[in-house]
Amino acid sequence: MRRSPWTLIFLLAAALLMLAVPQGCSSRRKSAPPAEVTPPPGTPESTPETTEEEPPRPPSSTEDENAQARLQDAFFDYDDASLRDDAKQALEADAKYMESHTRLNVIIEGHCDERGSVEYNLALGEKRARAAKDYLVSYGIKGTRVTTISYGKERPFDQGHNEEAWAKNRRAHFAPK
Amino acid sequence: MVPVAGRRVLAGASVLLALLVPVAASTQTDVRTGVQASGTVKSPLLLASFRSDRDAGVAREAHDVVRHDFDFSGIFNVTDVEPLTQKLEPNPGATGTVRVEGTLEGDGDGYQLTGEVFDLATAESMFRRTYPFRRAETREAMHRFVDDVLEALTGERGICETKVAFIRGTGRVKEVWVMDYDGMNPYQLTHDRSLALSPAWAPWGTELAFTTYKRGNPDLYLFDLKRGASYPFSTRAGPNIAPSYSPDGKWIACALYRDGNSEIYAISRDAQTARRLTRNPRIDSGPSYSPNGDQIVFASDRSGSPQIYVMDSEGVNQRLLTLEGKYNDSPRWSPKGDRIAYAARHDGIFDVVVMDANGQRPIQVTSGAGHNENPQWSADGRKIYFSSTRGGARQIFVMNADGSEAIQLTRGDECFNPAAGPRPKRPGVSRAG
Repeated sequence: MRRSPWTLIFLLAAALLMLAVPQGCSSRRKSAPPAEVTPPPGTPESTPETTEEEPPRPPSSTEDENAQARLQDAFFDYDDASLRDDAKQALEADAKYMESHTRLNVIIEGHCDERGSVEYNLALGEKRARAAKDYLVSYGIKGTRVTTISYGKERPFDQGHNEEAWAKNRRAHFAPK
Repeated sequence: MVPVAGRRVLAGASVLLALLVPVAASTQTDVRTGVQASGTVKSPLLLASFRSDRDAGVAREAHDVVRHDFDFSGIFNVTDVEPLTQKLEPNPGATGTVRVEGTLEGDGDGYQLTGEVFDLATAESMFRRTYPFRRAETREAMHRFVDDVLEALTGERGICETKVAFIRGTGRVKEVWVMDYDGMNPYQLTHDRSLALSPAWAPWGTELAFTTYKRGNPDLYLFDLKRGASYPFSTRAGPNIAPSYSPDGKWIACALYRDGNSEIYAISRDAQTARRLTRNPRIDSGPSYSPNGDQIVFASDRSGSPQIYVMDSEGVNQRLLTLEGKYNDSPRWSPKGDRIAYAARHDGIFDVVVMDANGQRPIQVTSGAGHNENPQWSADGRKIYFSSTRGGARQIFVMNADGSEAIQLTRGDECFNPAAGPRPKRPGVSRAG
């Protein structure tokens, strides 16, 4: 069924992640160009996206499949990465869920509303994701189970241009790892 | 056939320069205050239709490019005229008016245009040069002609030969694109099917730094336009964003998140050295070098909301520049060093503001039309490229640096993060370093 095409992609992605993770822990990870040549424009990229469109996972864990529905996102005020009371409640529920599902690892995506520069919002999104992660860690979840990534204002949940849409887009979003 | 002697060119040019001062160097005089968005003085320019011996079609095409470029420059009032049929007579009443003539020779694959510029007052030739080109290079050759004329008349070369990089988004995928200075000939540079952001040109014009998520983390890559390939530059965990080359090309300032929050670093172009420049628990981002490389302007919310700060390029002497407004972001230093453009939020609306490099005299240059952000100076400092939502989705516009004559350059899918490129290096001029 869906296994045959996706298994290969997943294995490739996993191989890439294994390459990337040990380097990511090094604070002096840098490579002088030209270290890696990507194909010239027009050539299809052979590298699958590792975080963009998460390939469907092999049915190894039913926990993961339910996790996204169970984990609650944390929402923020404008230009602010501090945790509101409702955000803390959501994160506490998330921490309890992760506590009882010990094999579950998560990616927390930091998101912002459309106002402000691309670059400032990337930094702000990371700050939100890390604030959420820090809360989980302070609750007792191991930091190695939680990674963060900021999408700034580039991946809005609601395409609207009003406060209702913005409020939905200022969030730390949980995605299973 | 011989180009006009330099002294005569300069004498004629000084007449024009006097007229052009408000446009070309409005910020260096204290005469102009208040709103600059209107009333710029333009020099009259008579543009003759081009003579041709065989191929009138190409002559017309070449003429139209030249007309477009002179219009776009924002410093001429262009009037179409017929070519001279007899020797030009001096007309002392026409001081400051120039006349541009062009003669096209050749057909098939080989052409050459001889362009000449006359000072109407003296009837003297101020500029004369011949441009050989192949049919497919008509635009480039005419861009070069106009840039040469602008340099001869004003002392400041034009930007017709420069390119603009930008981000174009289709759905979740955003790629780096490049177009001509006037929005023509857009083409897609990256094909990563990922999220690309914040392109920045290297001073030598054949390399772009940008952020890409293609490996799953917002990493900084360098795109080599000669080889059509990109290379990882900074792939530290967390955001590697907001690149800006130092004027000598040896450093790339950027914002990294390796210290628990966003700090500005300068990373050597060979990626061997990384210097941390800010030490602050709040967000520091969006660096931009001064044209002499001594200072970096940047945005920081250390006071509670984003404001514009400046520091020496080693990170010392950090101080607040913006005295007005609660939210100021995306600073860019002008090519002449005298001004800084940034985006300011007032009553929820973003607009482009230009201030003196010392933070004085902030002047809002966009207004009344959507959010206007991401200001980027053209290589000559006469234009500002920016993104605007005035028509709905973000698109890229360009305007004169005083805010006048805004023109939309992109259409269709959302476009933002414009980056105006440097002038191409001219043959015989080698790059330092």
